[in-house]
Amino acid sequence: MRKVILLALCVLALVASCGLGASAAETLNVIYMAQAGYQPDDIRDMADLFEFLTDTKVNITFVKYDEQHEKIVASAVAPVATYDVILLDLIWTAEFASKKMVIPLDDKITPEMRKDIAPAIMDAFVFDGKTWAMPFLANFQLFFYNADMIKKAGFSGPPKTLEEMVEQMRVMKAKNIVKYPWTDSWNQKEGLVCEYVWLTGAFGGDTFDANGNPIFNEGPGVKALEFMVSLLKEGLANPKCLTNDETAAKDDFISGNAAFTTNWTFQYALMNDPAVSKVVGAGQMGLIPVAKAVADKTKTASVSGFQGAAIMANSRKKDLAWKYVRFITSPLVQRSYLQEMPVWTSVQKSAYANMMDKTMAIKSEEISAVHHRPKVPPYPEVSSILQRYIHEALQMKMEPKAALDKAAEEIKAVLARK
Amino acid sequence: MEPAGFRLVIRPDLWGLRGVTGVEGMISRKPRKRDPEGRRLAWWLLSPSVVLILAVVIGPLLFAFYLSFHEAEPMVGGINTRFVGLANYVYYFAQSDLFWPAVRVTVYFTVVSLLVELVLGIAMALVLNAKFVGRSFVRAIILLPWALPTVVNARMWEWIFAGSKFGALNGLMKVLHVFPPTYDQVWLGFDVPFESVPVLGPFLKWMGVTRALNIIIIADTWKVTPLVVLLVLAGLQTIPESLYEAATVDGAGFWRKLTRITLPLLKPVLLVVLVLRTMELFRVFDIIYIIMQYSIRVLGVLTYEVGMKFLHFGSGAALSFLVALFILGLALVYIRLFYTEEGY
Repeated sequence: MRKVILLALCVLALVASCGLGASAAETLNVIYMAQAGYQPDDIRDMADLFEFLTDTKVNITFVKYDEQHEKIVASAVAPVATYDVILLDLIWTAEFASKKMVIPLDDKITPEMRKDIAPAIMDAFVFDGKTWAMPFLANFQLFFYNADMIKKAGFSGPPKTLEEMVEQMRVMKAKNIVKYPWTDSWNQKEGLVCEYVWLTGAFGGDTFDANGNPIFNEGPGVKALEFMVSLLKEGLANPKCLTNDETAAKDDFISGNAAFTTNWTFQYALMNDPAVSKVVGAGQMGLIPVAKAVADKTKTASVSGFQGAAIMANSRKKDLAWKYVRFITSPLVQRSYLQEMPVWTSVQKSAYANMMDKTMAIKSEEISAVHHRPKVPPYPEVSSILQRYIHEALQMKMEPKAALDKAAEEIKAVLARK
Repeated sequence: MEPAGFRLVIRPDLWGLRGVTGVEGMISRKPRKRDPEGRRLAWWLLSPSVVLILAVVIGPLLFAFYLSFHEAEPMVGGINTRFVGLANYVYYFAQSDLFWPAVRVTVYFTVVSLLVELVLGIAMALVLNAKFVGRSFVRAIILLPWALPTVVNARMWEWIFAGSKFGALNGLMKVLHVFPPTYDQVWLGFDVPFESVPVLGPFLKWMGVTRALNIIIIADTWKVTPLVVLLVLAGLQTIPESLYEAATVDGAGFWRKLTRITLPLLKPVLLVVLVLRTMELFRVFDIIYIIMQYSIRVLGVLTYEVGMKFLHFGSGAALSFLVALFILGLALVYIRLFYTEEGY
């Protein structure tokens, strides 16, 4: 009998200690990419501040962008989420929303908040009429040019159209100013689709229609791929582009091996860092030029790479997760971390932000001209097909039109299967 | 007559237990024909390994086999499955545009890598089997590449073959004045070797061969050849010296000794090397994915893409089993060709 009482007391003590533990600070698990965008130190800073204000412990797992999708899916299929808050790339919106892996945030995002975020940014996270993530990173591509090389070639300024850019590149090549004036990230990864999307936009079109059906194999889409192939054929684009990712393309540019490129916003800071860049002063950022034929309709075209903060459906701390999401995406926090373009219009236009970041005006103009990649649930498969055929064309193994026709045919089959 | 079933034999002299009170008498006791206590002890000792193997090898394997007959997609809190029979297998065998090109490029990678590794491995093992000053040091240092993690090896070769002026190989070529200062070779390019040569060019293109693939074969061979050297060297050391002495007396030269003594007697070791390396080469993923991502779609990369990127767990599992079937087929062929019970 004494043994039973002793055992009961032990169990009670254990239960009590667990109860006491639960009343201590709650823990929130977050997954973030350690690649582009805000750097891990910035994200940790934001979390530290949140911990201080709310008595919450925030665990952040930093992974490479490529690993993020798998980790999120693994967390979603587990009975209890490994991560409460995830960084959601806009291309996963349809996939995660259709599988109900994240929760809609419509009842949490107020009309005032919506009013202060440009539709081009907010719409990226809308699928099936609902908003699945709170915009956090307004990443997009910009144009980078080497002003010294342009001057040496005898031109007064950066090109306004793609045709002008080609003309400048021909002169640079003829005068031996640079061997390959154009560099880019055309390896067979997501970056290739991004490059193709803005180029299609620069020829006045889109890759998919509003219903998510492929339209890239007609008009602007074909012209875009033909343009990419022509740069390679003429020796204006570095053949190494076919194995470059965004980092390698940035390296080409900041080491002075290219006159023109487009890249995400992260390149600007590195281009101006004397520790790593050989083009400090010469390297400039501007608006991406468009084809002459559409220049009267649009001045520039870009591609979105927005990322939002989303809450996992199997998280047990959804309220706390929203508090954290609301905090890191708030205008106050974004104004303090201007390394990335703020998502809030009020912050973008504020005197403080414009004083701290002299490129804010260019960025605001470029961001209003972004083109999105399609919002379809099987996006990874759709993108893979597009990457494969665009790459085949760039390798000159297929004609651009034939490659895009085949890609469209396969993508339609994938979309029909879903 | 040995007792049937499990028998635990402990030698007190080897375990330092001689003289320990009771222990010697206890363990020197002759095991009974049927020893339930011994069996129980054996199972207790084995159980952690059995549980571990069941949980992390057999269980997932059976689950993957089950998934391969299903359309399986992730959902919140689990996996959604729908039975489709052999549809996943049939799709890849008969309908997919990617499967057979992936098989061809994997076969090329496997065959060429194996040939290079075997030739280099046997040659280096022969050198290391000879007596020379510092042999032990060379034998030790040759293993270093094999000790490198594949990811490190892949990243290292990626930097060596970088197609810009930062590339180590391009830098070396310029220092040696092989390349002019302004020239940078794109080593990991997609041009087909011997493309203009009739028959060979189109054949290599059909196989999916590119310069990048050949370059990756060099990188992988550099890392793995030490393993082949090690295995072949172990085999060489079992060949009695007297055979070579007798052959020398009979007037046999190096090639004759190699083809009549060394290679035939190395057959069992070569079988091990072939099966082991074929298995590893046929399921190659890491080095190709790290350097080229999806630009070279070998079977491993295709399986990963379907299973982990597209999240078609059923199709991915079917592809994995198809790769296993290919390896099994090749292993059977090797065993038929190389199996020998020849003694000296």
